Amino acid sequence: MTRKRSLSTVVAVAAVATLALTACGSSKSAKTTTSSSGKTYTIAYQGPLSGGNAQLGLNMVYAVKLAINQANSGTSQFGKLPFTLKYTQQDDQGSATQAPTAAQAIIGNSNVVAVVGPAFSGATKASGALYAQANLATVSPSATAPDLANNGWGNFFRVVADDNAQGPADAQYLAKVVKAKNVYVIDDASAYGSGLASAFKGAAGSNNLTIESETAPGTTQCQAGQGNVQQYDALATKIKSSGAQAVFYAGYYCDFALLTKAVRAAGYQGTLMSDDGSNDPKYISQAGASVAEGALTSCACSVLASSPAAQAFSTQFKALAGFAAGTYSAEAYDSANAIIDVMKKLSSSGDAITRGAIVNGLKSVDFKGLTKEVKFQSNGNIAGTAVYVSKVENGQLVQLGLISDLVKQ
Amino acid sequence: MSADALGAVGGRARLPGGLTRAYAIATGTDAKRLYSSLVLGLVLALMTGPAGSVTAPTSGIHHALLAPRVFGFLAFGLVVWLLLTFSGRVGPRLRGVRQRVAAPARAVTAHRTVRWSWYAVLLAALILVPRLLTGAYQQLLVDQIGIYVLLALGLNIVIGFAGLLDLGYIAFFAVGAYTTAYFTGSLPAKPPFEVTPFLCFPLGVLFAMLAGVILGAPTLRLRGDYLAIVTLGFGEIIYDVANNLKQTGGPQGVAKTVPHFVFGDYHWKLANLPYWYLLLGILVAVVIGVSRLENSRTGRAWTAIREDEVAAEASGIPALRYKVMAFAFGASTSGFAGVLFASKNGFFDPGVFTEQISILILVLVIFGGMGSIWGTIVGAAVLQFLPGYFRISGSSVFQPQDIYIYVGFLLIIMMIFRPQGLIPSRRRAREIGMAEAGIGSADALAAPGSAP
Amino acid sequence: MCFTQNFWSLLISGLANGFVYALIALGYTLVYGVLQLINFAHSEVFMSGGFAGLFLMDHLVGKGHVPSGLTSVGLVLAGTIVAALAGGLVAYILERVAYRPLRRRHAPQLAYLISAIGMSFFLFSLAGKEFGRDSASVPQTFTNGTVFHVFGAGVQTYYLLVAGAAIIMLVGLDRLIGATRLGQGIRAVAQDADTASLMGVNIDRIIALTFIVGGLLGGAAGFLFGIGNGVVYTMGFTPGIKAFTAAVLGGIGNVRGAVLGGLLLGVCENVPIGCVDTSWRDVIAFGILVLVLLVRPTGILGERLGRSA
Repeated sequence: MTRKRSLSTVVAVAAVATLALTACGSSKSAKTTTSSSGKTYTIAYQGPLSGGNAQLGLNMVYAVKLAINQANSGTSQFGKLPFTLKYTQQDDQGSATQAPTAAQAIIGNSNVVAVVGPAFSGATKASGALYAQANLATVSPSATAPDLANNGWGNFFRVVADDNAQGPADAQYLAKVVKAKNVYVIDDASAYGSGLASAFKGAAGSNNLTIESETAPGTTQCQAGQGNVQQYDALATKIKSSGAQAVFYAGYYCDFALLTKAVRAAGYQGTLMSDDGSNDPKYISQAGASVAEGALTSCACSVLASSPAAQAFSTQFKALAGFAAGTYSAEAYDSANAIIDVMKKLSSSGDAITRGAIVNGLKSVDFKGLTKEVKFQSNGNIAGTAVYVSKVENGQLVQLGLISDLVKQ
Repeated sequence: MSADALGAVGGRARLPGGLTRAYAIATGTDAKRLYSSLVLGLVLALMTGPAGSVTAPTSGIHHALLAPRVFGFLAFGLVVWLLLTFSGRVGPRLRGVRQRVAAPARAVTAHRTVRWSWYAVLLAALILVPRLLTGAYQQLLVDQIGIYVLLALGLNIVIGFAGLLDLGYIAFFAVGAYTTAYFTGSLPAKPPFEVTPFLCFPLGVLFAMLAGVILGAPTLRLRGDYLAIVTLGFGEIIYDVANNLKQTGGPQGVAKTVPHFVFGDYHWKLANLPYWYLLLGILVAVVIGVSRLENSRTGRAWTAIREDEVAAEASGIPALRYKVMAFAFGASTSGFAGVLFASKNGFFDPGVFTEQISILILVLVIFGGMGSIWGTIVGAAVLQFLPGYFRISGSSVFQPQDIYIYVGFLLIIMMIFRPQGLIPSRRRAREIGMAEAGIGSADALAAPGSAP
Repeated sequence: MCFTQNFWSLLISGLANGFVYALIALGYTLVYGVLQLINFAHSEVFMSGGFAGLFLMDHLVGKGHVPSGLTSVGLVLAGTIVAALAGGLVAYILERVAYRPLRRRHAPQLAYLISAIGMSFFLFSLAGKEFGRDSASVPQTFTNGTVFHVFGAGVQTYYLLVAGAAIIMLVGLDRLIGATRLGQGIRAVAQDADTASLMGVNIDRIIALTFIVGGLLGGAAGFLFGIGNGVVYTMGFTPGIKAFTAAVLGGIGNVRGAVLGGLLLGVCENVPIGCVDTSWRDVIAFGILVLVLLVRPTGILGERLGRSA
């Protein structure tokens, strides 16, 4: 008995060793050098690639890869470029613990000239000081916490509007267009959702809205945190009996879909509104077209499907990634392209492409992205925070227009 | 399955001699082991294969198993089987070699001066080598390895020494971290007085220890597996409370960056090495403390409780008090690590303190060897280094999102083949051996008097 | 005020959740009865049932119009059965891989717990890899809505479905344990495994079958839960702990206790939501767990499968 087991141990160790060896072997062979004209620069991505939020990270990874592939093959909007781009990634699990190590690994790679990410606000807070010290530009597709822009880092940019842009606009829309008096505000207990909800509540007074608010932790995949599935029945009951004319949900589409199903099943008739996290066709497929009918979503971006460029992006993304583009894919694509745009300008003006030069270049970048005009304010926030509203009509997300225009009518 | 089918046939009808023999071989130990080995190969193929998606749930399995690569994994399974089956002949010889090498080696290391000079060399290496590392590996060393080794050492007291399964260990880490944030004025809730982060060490340790005693005193009366669930629930409660309360900053995390340590005129900043030296000092102190504890009256009492609680109580050991003490020691180590983490990282949110981290620390201890100080250290260092290494080096073989598949796999394999861990403590290995022979139990989990 | 306002609605949806908890709790209780072990990986049995049901419904229903009438009934029935089978299969694999090898070696109890934790991590991460990590909605198999009112609180089709399916299974299980040879075997092993073995009961077989029975119920629960709350690879974790709480609440090892505990927990965590945020629900549930273990660790109906089932 003992003999057999001690030998099995040997085997187990051998097995692990073999695996490790295969791993090392193939990792070496995987590193192939691209031979192309000009110099080679690396654009890094930092975000969650493991843990509960891996899918959000993958949504962005393939968008960045796609932007880089297009730039290298000369099929992008920038045409043929005099340099070659490479891609590298660091996994921070969306966690404040892992983020500094990921950031250090990117900073330590001297080929990296700019970073798409960090994806999450918490990870950005934990690694921002390191990037600032290295003067390495970070363009986040998805970190929306308002106070990120107030750190004076100088190298921080984001192509997504912060919560302070969207929340008040949504409150205004519900008050002026939907003519709601009482609104039930729910957030998903993620950093994103709770920030947005408090921005919404902050604008309630000026719009004469009475607010009842609640936190309902979202399902794993749609928030940074625990693995659980929220059961919305109890919440639906409370919403129905509260007499609120509208519900504002600050969170992501999968939970908004579950909430929609629950409140409609409970017989609630009021308006449902959510944010850019829910501004996704998957919301309709998950809630069911008939149930989702009439729900509103807002976004500081225009709906993807509307332009041919966006349609091309969707097809190419699917071909590269094997799954459809999702939340923050287009923003990540824009972030990468903003960096490539700066690099192109630098090389055409004969300047050296360095980390510092890209930071400076991003401050004055201005190009037409998929989601919006990419142009940054001095604190790194995206300029022009036009918030659009969309409505589910006949199973399609139809863009109604700019909130600022709609409230005037 | 095929063996069962054959068995049904063989049982009913009378088969010719050849077939009966074939049946005997097909259901014999060797054959069964062959099937398991081949299944192991298939499972490995599945684990390392491409991912699927919810719209095409079989695509991952299809590409992993119906591709030429599967033959490599089947061959690997075959090799495992060959090793398992035929190593019986090589085994004793190997063990003989090991003993012949190990005995003089042990004699040498047992010599005091030799042992101390080994320690000195190790310490010198730990001081000097990190200076040569790049920034990312220094960060890895402090954030992922150093702090987790400290956590694992603390958990080792609870689970390895006293045999208590704590599944909410990270909660005490959270207590330490939030205490630091609170008393440095970084939370939305303002403290009555602010202190410098260094003074948060005693405070964090105190609060974590208090939490440990408050939780432990009532629950440690219960059966061991109930304790596991209560600690699991407690870990969840701490996470939820941190996430729900406005005073902790909720999911947004701490409101303001937690300041770095200041000692006299010396300011810790972003650079990692100063933290490493601080951590190294703490680790050395903890290792010395814990190894003294292990062989003290308290340590022996823990061993006695772990091996047989009823007998321990009968011989006059106040079991509950010692169990609470183990719990408090573990909790305070965790709290200590929490303070260090909070001040070093500057920012954290409740997402840092999830249940998975508790389980991860448990895995570190089990992998290294429960109850063994060096085992815990080596286990934690290796297991924390490997994923970090794969992440930093950007290896494309292990997809980072699959890390918990490997963690789970490792746990199962360890429990089947080497439950005592990588570098087991001698006593622990003997206990497991005894439990397997049916004498006594090897942990405090079993209810007094009940057989598993 | 806040407590009474939605009391009946919250009670009803709490009961529906409670039935799901009860079904999962039975898996814990049955295994505990025969092995005196907490089957930590039971939450993944639940998860696998959810996925099996999801894929079947994806295949049969697809997008577009919502089926009605007999088609709905047939679909739900098919989904429940397939989910139950998947759960049973996973539970069986679990027993073979994570438990039997250890039992052969008389491993310490800690080893079982750890190997079950390992199995749990392995299974849910593998599911995440193979089936994607986004949460998915089960296609609608029936039109959900209020069927009738109790004290002004609407009772939805979904609640009736969950309760009906659960009651059928619970009664079936009660009969199985009380009146069949398998049930006798389970009770015998739960009372005294050694004696049962001497009497010619094949313990390995009984234990495997116990896992499978628990798995069938857990898998079905996964589908019933998935219809209302979506399916995601980590879905087992929280309901798993809560169901364990329910099992402890009723007296672990006690089949009727598990049902009682499930319903009680479902109601107890749901009704206070009238007064506090939904986000405190889990805290309430785990608080109940801690309290029960402190005050009455043997649960309401007491332990032991052998005697009281």
